[in-house]
Amino acid sequence: MKPNILAAAKSLGRLIRGNRWIQLAALIVLSAGANALTRVLGLPVPGSIVGLFLLLGLLLSGAVPVAWFSQGARGLLDHLMLFFVPAMLGLVDHPELVGPLGFKLLLAVFVGTPAVMVGTALVVEAGFRLKSRDVR
Amino acid sequence: MSGSLAAVFWALVTLGIYAASRAAYRKYKRWWLSPLLTTWGLCAALLIALHTNYHEYLRGTHWLVSLLGPATIAFAIPIYEQRATIARNWPILLAGVVAGSAIAIGVSWWLAGLFQLTPEVRASLLPRSITTPFAIAMSETVGGVPALTASFTAVTGLFGAAVGESLLLLLPLRSAFARGASFGMGAHGAGVAKARELGDEEGAVAGLVMVFAGLLNVLGASLLHAF
Repeated sequence: MKPNILAAAKSLGRLIRGNRWIQLAALIVLSAGANALTRVLGLPVPGSIVGLFLLLGLLLSGAVPVAWFSQGARGLLDHLMLFFVPAMLGLVDHPELVGPLGFKLLLAVFVGTPAVMVGTALVVEAGFRLKSRDVR
Repeated sequence: MSGSLAAVFWALVTLGIYAASRAAYRKYKRWWLSPLLTTWGLCAALLIALHTNYHEYLRGTHWLVSLLGPATIAFAIPIYEQRATIARNWPILLAGVVAGSAIAIGVSWWLAGLFQLTPEVRASLLPRSITTPFAIAMSETVGGVPALTASFTAVTGLFGAAVGESLLLLLPLRSAFARGASFGMGAHGAGVAKARELGDEEGAVAGLVMVFAGLLNVLGASLLHAF
């Protein structure tokens, strides 16, 4: 009996490893579970973040192998933009953006983005030089 | 068109335009053929041409939006796979993410005040430097409009990825780390793709910084909101 259960578990593991659709379904179930947990416990963070830490915890503790999720995860991240394009299209309900307001917002992005990129690069570079000085 | 037929129609149209956009980008590799830009533009043009209101469109495509939750959870995989890099370099990564987030939020806040934007638009502008699924979550928390945030975020990523390389040439950078972090923090998804073209280390660091920035901002905003 025992070896049978073991063999069944092994072939189930193989099935999950090789099938991205099962992995995708697992991530959807995990997401729904995390959302429910967040609601029930009244947690102040979004359910998707709770789910991310849940999965990370499961992986780091060795409870589940990463191969059970990696293909499904790669598929989702590969098509990420498909999931937020419908959200972006809400813009058609905001005709006020065509005109001065839209120009101001573009200006905010065109000024803010280089500032963020330069600031981050300089801070990380400074940290990197500090660290390599310590090593020497 | 009846309601449910229209819903199916818009789902198929969105998927079809997306698939065609991806194929076109793979073939011609021009930045203005970015599937994000073309899918968005073509769907919007069609919505306007057919006089469809947004709620009707969303009836057919809200299931796509609901995959943002599982997609956010999927970011646990790159974090897990890069755990050795994180353990070695977390202070530098954290410093970059904190500095970048402070500048992103500070400049957006300041310019929104200068331009006298409404509180709603200002709140929608704040999360624009983090990757979209996180930005949408943060937008909801701070009182923004997710549709606006998603659009500002997309423009930020495309712009940052386009100007980043020439911008960073002006700086005396010796580390691949700094270049990668800059792209991941400033231009999220599009920036990570650009950083991968520069090198493996740049790409890996950019991806990590993008996820950290998303987590830090969403957690920060949620906790500030709760207390």
